[in-house]
Amino acid sequence: MKKLFALVLALALAISLMPTALAEENVLKYGVDADAAGGFDPHTISAVASMRMIGQMYNTLVDVDEDLNVIPELATSWEQPDDVTYIFHLAENVTFHSGRAMTAEDVKYSFERILDPEVGALGNSSSYAGDIDTVEVVDPYTVKITLKNINAPFLANLSSSYCSIVDKDVVEANDGSLLLADGGTGPYTLGEWVPDNSVTVKAFDNYFDEAGKATFDAIEFYVLTDASARLAALRTGAVDLISADTAMLDLVENDDSIQTVSYQSRNYTGLFLNVNRAPFDNPLVRQAINLALDREEIIEFAFNGKATISGFVPASLGHWAVDVTENEYYTQNIEKAKSLLAEAGYPDGFETNIIVGLLDSIRDTGLVVEQQLAEIGIKVNVQDVERGQYLDAWNGHDFDIMVCQNGAGSDPSRAVAFFFKTGSSANIQDYSNARVDELCELAVATTDTAKREEYYKEATNIILDDCIVAIVASPQEYFLASTALQGFAPNASNANNFAGVTLAK
Amino acid sequence: MRDYIIRRLLMLIPILIGVSIAIFVIMQLIPGDVVSGILGIEETPELRAMWEAKLGLDKPLVEQYFSWIGKAVTGDFGESFRTGEAVFPEIMKRFKISAELALLACVIAWIIALPLGILSSLKRNSVIDRIVRVVALLGVSVPNFASATLLILFFSKAFNYYSPVKYVGLFENFGTNMEIMILPAFILGSIMAGSVMRMTRSSMLEVLRQDYIKAVRAKGAPERVTIFRHAFKNSSIPIVTLIGMQIGGLMGGTVVIEQIFSIPGLGQYTLTGISQRDFPVVQGCVLFIAFVYVIVNLLVDILYTYIDPRISYS
Amino acid sequence: MFKKGKSTKNRALPGNESLLRQLWNDPMGRAGMIGVGIVILLAVFAPWIAQYDVAKMHAKDKLTGPSAAYWFGTDNFGRDVFSRIVYGARVSLVVGIVAVGIAAGFGYLFGMIAGFFEGKVESIIMMVMDVIFAFPSILLALFIVSALGPSIVNTMIAIGIVNIPVFCRTVRASVKTVKSTDYIANARSIGLKKMTILFKHVTPNVMAPFTVQATLALSGAILTEASMSFLGLGIQPPNPSWGSMLSDARKYMERAPWLVIFPALFIIMTILSFNILGDALRDVLDPKLKL
Repeated sequence: MKKLFALVLALALAISLMPTALAEENVLKYGVDADAAGGFDPHTISAVASMRMIGQMYNTLVDVDEDLNVIPELATSWEQPDDVTYIFHLAENVTFHSGRAMTAEDVKYSFERILDPEVGALGNSSSYAGDIDTVEVVDPYTVKITLKNINAPFLANLSSSYCSIVDKDVVEANDGSLLLADGGTGPYTLGEWVPDNSVTVKAFDNYFDEAGKATFDAIEFYVLTDASARLAALRTGAVDLISADTAMLDLVENDDSIQTVSYQSRNYTGLFLNVNRAPFDNPLVRQAINLALDREEIIEFAFNGKATISGFVPASLGHWAVDVTENEYYTQNIEKAKSLLAEAGYPDGFETNIIVGLLDSIRDTGLVVEQQLAEIGIKVNVQDVERGQYLDAWNGHDFDIMVCQNGAGSDPSRAVAFFFKTGSSANIQDYSNARVDELCELAVATTDTAKREEYYKEATNIILDDCIVAIVASPQEYFLASTALQGFAPNASNANNFAGVTLAK
Repeated sequence: MRDYIIRRLLMLIPILIGVSIAIFVIMQLIPGDVVSGILGIEETPELRAMWEAKLGLDKPLVEQYFSWIGKAVTGDFGESFRTGEAVFPEIMKRFKISAELALLACVIAWIIALPLGILSSLKRNSVIDRIVRVVALLGVSVPNFASATLLILFFSKAFNYYSPVKYVGLFENFGTNMEIMILPAFILGSIMAGSVMRMTRSSMLEVLRQDYIKAVRAKGAPERVTIFRHAFKNSSIPIVTLIGMQIGGLMGGTVVIEQIFSIPGLGQYTLTGISQRDFPVVQGCVLFIAFVYVIVNLLVDILYTYIDPRISYS
Repeated sequence: MFKKGKSTKNRALPGNESLLRQLWNDPMGRAGMIGVGIVILLAVFAPWIAQYDVAKMHAKDKLTGPSAAYWFGTDNFGRDVFSRIVYGARVSLVVGIVAVGIAAGFGYLFGMIAGFFEGKVESIIMMVMDVIFAFPSILLALFIVSALGPSIVNTMIAIGIVNIPVFCRTVRASVKTVKSTDYIANARSIGLKKMTILFKHVTPNVMAPFTVQATLALSGAILTEASMSFLGLGIQPPNPSWGSMLSDARKYMERAPWLVIFPALFIIMTILSFNILGDALRDVLDPKLKL
């Protein structure tokens, strides 16, 4: 009887201690602003919120660092016998989460999957892997990729998660979909997804790269869409890290237990004018709009001051960027704007619509622009639309003025050609300039960086002087974290890199 | 009575067909579709065509509708366009969560509202009555997202407390689950309490004035019997109507609170479905919510006959 | 016990003058009337009361607290909160009243018809009501707003339609109760026509629960508009509504509490006043008090 009692007591003690033991697990709790959308297939998911997890689960052949240099990832080295041929030497100790070793066959399979029209992979365009002609297995750890034509930024584009290397067996076991399966090689494996609440990724013990190995037993992503709820969760220690809104930054300035971490993004926010619609088909009107803007004021109101004046090739793209502050249309000049409008035949201004949505900063930019354009007599109706309507306006090229926040990518082939070349899918303005098209083609067909820089800068300046856009600023992105979090240094190339990050508890 | 119930259940069929057609038309009319959600900024005509074919969106609308409804009658709500997961099991999973939240909110509302409503009607126009009425209205007067944000801020600043961020089911860990649910249920309950309390008060006043109550009192029945056996019972029809409607409305109507407190309920599932234009999810959720609503209201109508034997259905 | 139509009508639906006087004599009624009066005055005379343009941004005065220059402080654009509240009264009041008007009008009509005629008519009406009510209101709002384009009018229509079934069911339930009481049978035995009974005798009797419901729905409409703003489907900026002001202020709740306090105070005051007025109105309208 006594023994039984002791046993029950011991059991009770053990059970009561268990939660405490769990709490001491080495887990990073990360409060995020949006839930993963659709799942975690690296080839078919475009949602930024899902990328946070995909980035932990998958690897690509190469990566780019903060300064846009291409660095090894699954490929330890590579050579280019000619402009269209790439030979990659793969790391030999890479295992998939299934336990199987990764070989050149898997690389071949991954690109076949990306190029398979039935899959509908996002990487199947010349911005990513679309220009691939053949993928050959030279030996188990060497793979040769041949392109149909020269594509200068190809190597850098391979760093996109759309070009992740996936496990053929897992894809086939899941009827061709990786949305809810994990076929990766990354430092973390997919744990549980409770939609609208949380996603857990767990440490993968056999990760090939010592430096990138998981430092946490698990990372738990918590969906906390409300900004003040995220801050409350961080303050109370319910989470260790949150994606922050610039409105919160003042509140934690004097809080010793919270640190602010930030990086300069490669995104930019600005106005896209419909150049095929009156009155924006008139260059004078477009110039007037650019001249009417006080970009500093927009940054102050829409970004709480946490952004820098920028063009569509942000300064964070390094040598590719032109200095927009020298551009004549970047300095507010109300008088000149008014006279340009009068010259264009609109002495009393006109009325127009501006579409905003998706992000607070986009909406707020629209609201400030409405006030600023009123100064030169343009009456703007702000249309704050829901996501579906916003995407419809984007894809249907149906707007007068649209405020967008775009990513400039890691190469101007994205920042310039993707958005402004004739016929490009993201050229929502249907802008067409023969010289810009020519320069974009020249720049992608040569691997001479100096030449490419020259071409893109010329194209950039043509577009800026055409005033078809009125780009305002490139925002600074913020995280707030408990001071216990150490070594977290996000950058625009990899905002959720937790390699070497620890929690001092 | 049995015939009535069967007839009402048969009426479910046209209602659900009506709802399914309405929702199908709505989903076609609202701008944006699931493909633009999947592709985002990477959309090209080729990719779009491929995805439309993959999801069966290239078929004629009528065919799409009938192939969906054909499966739905067998209980197969299809698979999500986005994740490829079966919709029906996910709805059931989330329904349990939303139902728990709704019932908790109702219980909280009744605990607050019924005694106060009765008290208020008995002490009509007294100071207590006025205070109760004003306090009850406060819950109705503040938008729930504002009171939710305020509560979160208050608890974090005053007690350094935030409810558990990881959702745990009722049967996994009762204590933690209650901790997660109690704040959102309280906010929803306090909103409901306002209207329940007012309805209780006004119906009670109505009944207390009736001759038969005077007669019961005159016969010397104890006040407690008068109030509960006669007055409250007879005044409960509008209250029951209101509660029925509220429970029906809480299915999917808790979306704002679910979002702020990260509760993976039916409301959020529907809203995510709508924002991603995930047609099978939206269709399934709305049909299910409609079904629950009709059933709850049938129960309310049946309850009437027990409360007031003068009402009969034939 | 039951007198003929004309005198009942005089009691139940007194002329405007005497109705207002009766309300004014009741202390609660007076308080309600004053509160509602203030909000209506704010809405009507907004251009004269507001000191600033509601959209005017003041870069130097971002997020400043209440002061002599800005009575209720400024928001994150340096816009005057007082002026926005004054103009917001217009939006919130109009949205509330029109939406409830739509809902109550149609709900009353359908509820009366359904409750009185029963049978097939009732089944069909209640089925349509069930279909409408079975939709999550947010989806219905999304549909109407995106199909017709986002605007104040469409917000009102959306909220109005969503609320019809509530009135319809309330009215029908009351009609059923009233019908089963003796005096309808008496009225019938005196030989009054169905329609006469419907409008003259049932109407005053459903007035009480109906008024309560209407005042609640008005609060509901103001709150629904706020929730729509929260989900990004509300009034188009820069037009202020109290709901959208509250929704926008969430991020700044801690930093600038006045952004939350003042719109919330005005919403509470408005809803309280309307409800108190509704109660008082019910007492005045209630025929049984005098029977």
